Amino acid sequence: MKNLIKLSSLLLFFIAFVSCSDDDENTTAEFTVTAISAESGAVGTEITITGTNFPSNTSDINLTFGGANATITSVTSTQIVTTVPSGATTGSVTVVVDGVTKNVTTDFTVLSDLVSARAENIFAPQTGGQGTQEEASGPFTKFSFATGAVTDSDTEWDIAFRGLTIIVNGGTTTGTNDEPERNGNSGAAIEEGIFSEITDTSGIEFAQDANGELAIPTGSNNGWYNYNFMTTTVTPIPGKILIFRTHDGKFAKIEILSYYKDAPSDITQEVAENDFRYYTFNYVYNPNEGETSLAN
Amino acid sequence: MSLNKNNILFYFLIYVSISVCAQEGRKEEKDSILTENLDEVVVTATRTIRQLSSLPLPVTLIGKEQLQQTGVTRLDQILNEQTGIIMTPDATIGGGEGVQIQGIASDYVLILIDGVPVVGRSSGNLDLSRFAIGNIKQIEIVKGPSSSLFGSEALGGVINIITEKPTSENISGQVSHRAATFNDQNTNLSLNQRFDKIGYSVFADRLSTDGFDLAPSDEGQTVNPFYNYTFNGRFFADITENLDVFVSGRYFFQEFDVQPSTSEEKDANVLLRINHDASKKTNLQYEFYYTNYTTDEQVIDPIDDQLLIANDFDQKLFRPEIRFNHSFNPNNTLTIGAGYNFENLNRSLFSETITFNSQYVFAQYDFKPLEKLNIIAGARFDNHSEYNSQLSPKISAKYDVTSNFSIKGSVGSGFKAPDFRQLYLDFTNAAGGGYSVFGKEVEATGIQRLQENDEIATLQVDPSQLGQSLDAESSIGYNLGFTYKKGALSSEVNFFRNDFENLIDTRILAAKTNGQNVFGYINRESVYTQGAEIDIKYTISKNLNLSAGYQLLYAFDKEKEEAFENGDVFGRNQETLETVRLQREDYFGLENRSRHTLNFKAFYEIPEWDINANLRVVYRSRFGLADRNGNNLLDELDNSFVDGYALVNLAFGKTFLEHYSLQLGVNNLLDFKGTNPLAAQDSEVLINPGIQLFTRLNIQF
Repeated sequence: MKNLIKLSSLLLFFIAFVSCSDDDENTTAEFTVTAISAESGAVGTEITITGTNFPSNTSDINLTFGGANATITSVTSTQIVTTVPSGATTGSVTVVVDGVTKNVTTDFTVLSDLVSARAENIFAPQTGGQGTQEEASGPFTKFSFATGAVTDSDTEWDIAFRGLTIIVNGGTTTGTNDEPERNGNSGAAIEEGIFSEITDTSGIEFAQDANGELAIPTGSNNGWYNYNFMTTTVTPIPGKILIFRTHDGKFAKIEILSYYKDAPSDITQEVAENDFRYYTFNYVYNPNEGETSLAN
Repeated sequence: MSLNKNNILFYFLIYVSISVCAQEGRKEEKDSILTENLDEVVVTATRTIRQLSSLPLPVTLIGKEQLQQTGVTRLDQILNEQTGIIMTPDATIGGGEGVQIQGIASDYVLILIDGVPVVGRSSGNLDLSRFAIGNIKQIEIVKGPSSSLFGSEALGGVINIITEKPTSENISGQVSHRAATFNDQNTNLSLNQRFDKIGYSVFADRLSTDGFDLAPSDEGQTVNPFYNYTFNGRFFADITENLDVFVSGRYFFQEFDVQPSTSEEKDANVLLRINHDASKKTNLQYEFYYTNYTTDEQVIDPIDDQLLIANDFDQKLFRPEIRFNHSFNPNNTLTIGAGYNFENLNRSLFSETITFNSQYVFAQYDFKPLEKLNIIAGARFDNHSEYNSQLSPKISAKYDVTSNFSIKGSVGSGFKAPDFRQLYLDFTNAAGGGYSVFGKEVEATGIQRLQENDEIATLQVDPSQLGQSLDAESSIGYNLGFTYKKGALSSEVNFFRNDFENLIDTRILAAKTNGQNVFGYINRESVYTQGAEIDIKYTISKNLNLSAGYQLLYAFDKEKEEAFENGDVFGRNQETLETVRLQREDYFGLENRSRHTLNFKAFYEIPEWDINANLRVVYRSRFGLADRNGNNLLDELDNSFVDGYALVNLAFGKTFLEHYSLQLGVNNLLDFKGTNPLAAQDSEVLINPGIQLFTRLNIQF
């Protein structure tokens, strides 16, 4: 109650002051900041700040994200639209109008950019297996989304390839030869669609490898590929997007483009017989803890 | 089973003898429905003799003259030149050819010889080159479903090969020899004689060839050298004026030269038909038919003489049938029939001999409620030991608007029983990587067996679904046609639509621990074919006949169309390899269907010189062979299209000294070879072996 009185009297005083000191059109009440459209975002993310009595001229507003000046895209009396500026750091978002400074009540977290890249010719050799008399064996080729490369690490890997088999660093042993120890929390799911249209992992259920059962099933038309007996070629099934949770709980999506060296658009007999087990895939990786967005 | 057979035989015989006694002394006057007094009559459409032009159904008739003048000797060659009928190569390299009617594949086309069905389909396809056409009077093709009369398999159409009947007291017949490219040697002999009460007919044919190769860089030939023999003996007897008997025996033997492997095929059939005109208006037919088709195939490794694959196939069918026709007046005929199929199959890929029994009844009423309106309504009920019973109704009508113009329409249903393979196959392909295929009746035990051997990695279906019985595949066919005939011109337009339900497809039952799949069968697909056929015949003069035909065809899978609507169909950009969403217009439709097919035929005769010549052209537009980008349908991004092509065939004939005629001809005059898009890089696979020359000498006596 005391506060209210204080605040009201301050307001009254202020209004009186403003009306006395300024006799031209600048008779607007003092602005307020009420909300921000997101509490986190990477550089370039569009952000809307809502409030009241914003001036109509963008040049009258000084907006900073953790000290870095942001460019205002548009403004109305209740909305400022901007993007997270480069150089922004996690901290308060500040709006300054006519020397009056107001902070958005919650701190803004600046996220790392999503990584959108292509992994080329990830070689996944295998000995034995289909067409031979022996069981499939040989070490898996491990891949880390954080580094975007093949890794030898026993722990910092997310998925691994051997021939047509893809395993995840999560779950239990499946019973195949030479599989690496799973000590992470990786999981996988197969979604249908266009790569760019899959923008978020919330709601997706992830499977992990288990005894005799892979999170990404093998076999023609079962998981990610089709195998053509006639031409002995492996084709990634169009529209199958693999979504992964990494060993440390982050998210990534991949689209396998080719199983052949240098991803040729035409798989000749020679390529089919000699240059197989080379994965080329596009991927998007979100390096931010707990962030489900995969919009690239 | 044998007990049943004997019983039925017994009753039939009793019935025959009673009927014969009862009708003794009846005066001759041929029953109207069985009188052949018109030039172009067909029996397949109604199972009674009907004038071709009066039928309310789309029927194609290939007459003897056309068969002779074109110089063809096997059934497949002549069918390809008819409107709406094409011979399509099997999608896989080196497979056989199948007949396609109104866009419907050969699995759904029933082949009859003298009205009784031919059996023996390897993977659904019936090899039509098996049928020599030396002693044939005509070939009748009824398009659209005819299961109401013929039962299973008559969904897309019925092809009935009608053999010739002897007419003269003098021995008549012919000897001919045809030699063609690829060392094709075809000799045949036919003899006919008819006395007052009895007649006979003998036919023998031998064909041998060196075969040809469509994939020169691959080992082996596409068609290996083979020889085959066909023997056919027929006997006709008029026991009394009202009772006649027809007996026919046919035997076919074929052997491929694939040393050291063997591949043999035998097809035998015996038919006894008793035709009894019980009264002036009533006719009864008793038919006993037995057929046995066997193949004996052994693939032997040429290096170590190891037996790689033994594939034996032994199918038997015994079928008694009785038919009753009653004409209330010349325009109203009732047909009732009943029969029993005893069928069994012994195949090396099955665990045991399989027996099927089915019984059926059918009825048809052919009448004219108005002078200008003919209606034929019929239905058939098939009761089967292995799958659900089928009722197949059909109705068709023809209305003569004027004497030149008529409208005809029909709606009918057809079905195809699940075949032996879809029910009983128990096959693991050791050479092909170790995948397994189980028929519906054995899948539960098959999966169990694999599970016990620890060969199953994951089961992909609910175990309770295993072994649930398959339904027959079924279709409803609609035809609406308009015919116009005036003077030298006759034309016909027919619109068709065939809706197929419950087509049997393969599905993955389980993944095996070796990375391969276990496949089973399931009723799944719904497809349709629709389009229009146009046929125009024009007789320019008595000696020059022209005809042209066109078929427009749309054939699609309904579920896939729906997936397109929902945006669930994807392809891969051929450059970037990235997934793109496909639009409805990217869907090409079912494999092996051409949107446009055309034929043109000209037959010319100069009687004073005893010369005849003919030119026949068939064209089919672009078609696709297989999905190649993994989305399980044929779309514009699949690299599997064959460009449209035309085949031009020519034949000249000259008759010398009345009895000798010599023919020279060229098939595929333009030497079209084409390339199969499924061929591996750097090795060419052809669509057609190219130009083929032939000459034929025929001695008529």
